[in-house]
Amino acid sequence: MADVGVTKMTKSHRKNDRSVSATLAAATCALLGTGASAPVDAQEEPKWDFNTSFLYYGEDENRVQDASLKSIIRRLFADDKSLSIGVTVDTLTGATPSGAIRQDVAQTFTRPSGNAAYSVPAGELPLDDTFKDTRVALTANWTQPAGEKGLLSVGMSASKEYDYLHTGLNANYAHDFNNRNTTLSAGIAVARDSIEPVGGAPTPFTPMLDVGDVSNRNGDQDKDVLDVIFGVSQVISRDLVMQVNYSYSMSDGYLNNPYKVLSLVDGVTGDTLPRTTPLPPDGGPSGQFLFEGRPDERTQHSLYTQAKYNMNGKVLDVSYRYMTDDWEIDSHTMDVRYRWPIGAGSYLEPHLRFYTQSEAEFYRLSLDSSQPLPQFASSDYRLGNFDAITAGLKYGWKTRNGNDMSLRVEWYTQSGTVPAGQLIGNQAGRDNYPDLNALIVQFSYRFSQ
Amino acid sequence: MKTGTGLRVLFAALLVFAGQGVMAEPTGTLELDRYESQVVVLDFWASWCVPCRRSFPWLNAMHEKYTGQGLVIIGVNVDNDPEAAAAFLKDYPAQFQIHYDTGATLAREYGIQGMPSSVVIGRDGEIKETHIGFKMKRQDEYEAAILAALNEGVE
Amino acid sequence: MKTKLLPAVLLVALCAGCSSMGVEPWDRDVLAREDMQLVTDPLEAATDDHIYFSKEASSGGRGFGGGGCGCN
Repeated sequence: MADVGVTKMTKSHRKNDRSVSATLAAATCALLGTGASAPVDAQEEPKWDFNTSFLYYGEDENRVQDASLKSIIRRLFADDKSLSIGVTVDTLTGATPSGAIRQDVAQTFTRPSGNAAYSVPAGELPLDDTFKDTRVALTANWTQPAGEKGLLSVGMSASKEYDYLHTGLNANYAHDFNNRNTTLSAGIAVARDSIEPVGGAPTPFTPMLDVGDVSNRNGDQDKDVLDVIFGVSQVISRDLVMQVNYSYSMSDGYLNNPYKVLSLVDGVTGDTLPRTTPLPPDGGPSGQFLFEGRPDERTQHSLYTQAKYNMNGKVLDVSYRYMTDDWEIDSHTMDVRYRWPIGAGSYLEPHLRFYTQSEAEFYRLSLDSSQPLPQFASSDYRLGNFDAITAGLKYGWKTRNGNDMSLRVEWYTQSGTVPAGQLIGNQAGRDNYPDLNALIVQFSYRFSQ
Repeated sequence: MKTGTGLRVLFAALLVFAGQGVMAEPTGTLELDRYESQVVVLDFWASWCVPCRRSFPWLNAMHEKYTGQGLVIIGVNVDNDPEAAAAFLKDYPAQFQIHYDTGATLAREYGIQGMPSSVVIGRDGEIKETHIGFKMKRQDEYEAAILAALNEGVE
Repeated sequence: MKTKLLPAVLLVALCAGCSSMGVEPWDRDVLAREDMQLVTDPLEAATDDHIYFSKEASSGGRGFGGGGCGCN
């Protein structure tokens, strides 16, 4: 019953060329429309969505290597409801900076377990390679519409590695306004983590002891985290959508890294003070090292903004995040991605990320033995003053079945600076900050059925 | 005015070509008079509208069930890309007629508030109901609206 | 404490200006595309979040909902 297109029927409809030409266009198009035919089995809407990736993360200089398998499985239900289950398995190997500084002589340290010692050649950055570990993480999320214009999501998360347990709950709600052009959202997440350090958590500012001596250890510790996020997303035009989010995060409890130490150094030479007693047969530290201590509370504020802009099929994704906290760390993150479609279902996506942070108030390269000890101190490079750049390229394509695959290769590099006033004596001539260079390779496969 | 008349002649010619009868059109008004005394459901859809994949099988079912009673379903497509619409129809074929709303004239005139939208127009030409969105759990409700419009004024 | 108020003020101001911006419901073809979603690849996003959380002092920021086809 192919027919002419029709328009609104009520009384006064102006006579003008526009309405006539519209009808004309409609007439032409209707002739092209599909006619009635025997009902073919219409394609079933996919019920399952499987998204899996293999990740390799490798730092140079014998540092951390991580191979990870991650999978998110989604089951879609009627009327836009869905259940999402995520599983991640990581295997970590390699070494991480212990927090002690390089010396011109060889050094020895007691392992975190207290059961053995390891040595570091002269001139090398002290790395602790105790960390051969497997981590398993689980997430589950239920999402459903709430009312006419709302979307609700509730979920849980948990992860376990040999010395750490994380458990958490989260809930998010989004509401659409202005013909769904504006969306306001609010989210909350709470977590209770258990830190079970090998050998037990050491008392801050107590020294690294000889092998077999765990008298300064305090067993397992806890920490609680509360995260709250408020956001606005706005459709600006047919080609542009933007988002602004404000996040608040509060951590309470054991926030130290139980394995990290600071070198106790001479106030003039800046060299690590040697041990005062002879080295026992089972081994121990060659110098004086104190375990770090951080505040037991941390409050962070972040402001994040993102824009996605379509330029004739190519998509530019730009985001900026500012973070500030009561440890006096400030950071800026700028992330740019450009997706460039090439051929049917394939794309290239270059990626550039700039990150810079200022050091925590209690960040110290080492502890000056001629000065009173500060209340808090850490030489963890992750709390220091550094810039980081990520540069990468992602290639995505569709398989013959119409499923998505992608491969991305990225290079991540960190380079830090020790605050000028903190360099003492011989330290000034050395490369003190453990710069980081890492390769990231990730292959993903996604299919629906 | 000459253009307008010329176009209308061409229009009529096209109708003849399509094997349709020629309609006498009241000046300047486009009417649903072809469907006078029938119930018209205008369903606004697009290839990118995910719920439309569920609404099409249901619309096909309604078409099959109620055409005999005077139901006319018109799928009004608002795609900017006709190829995308064609691809959708290949996967989710429609037994009802499709109208391509180029320039979104119809969508604007009916003040569509969300996708997909369904406008039920009664036998008297008045809009009976408008539904925004398509929810599987409300299928009975949608069907009841069609039934009510079909039975209105019928003894 | 003024710095804490500023983001809230910005959000409210943004909302106030929002009511006039946007597109008609039938014009969301581009926004419905997968590559135009605020989080296009959740797996990659989760991976990056974890890497940078482990190597830097900042984390998170991304939100929930918004954009897209605006259907149902």
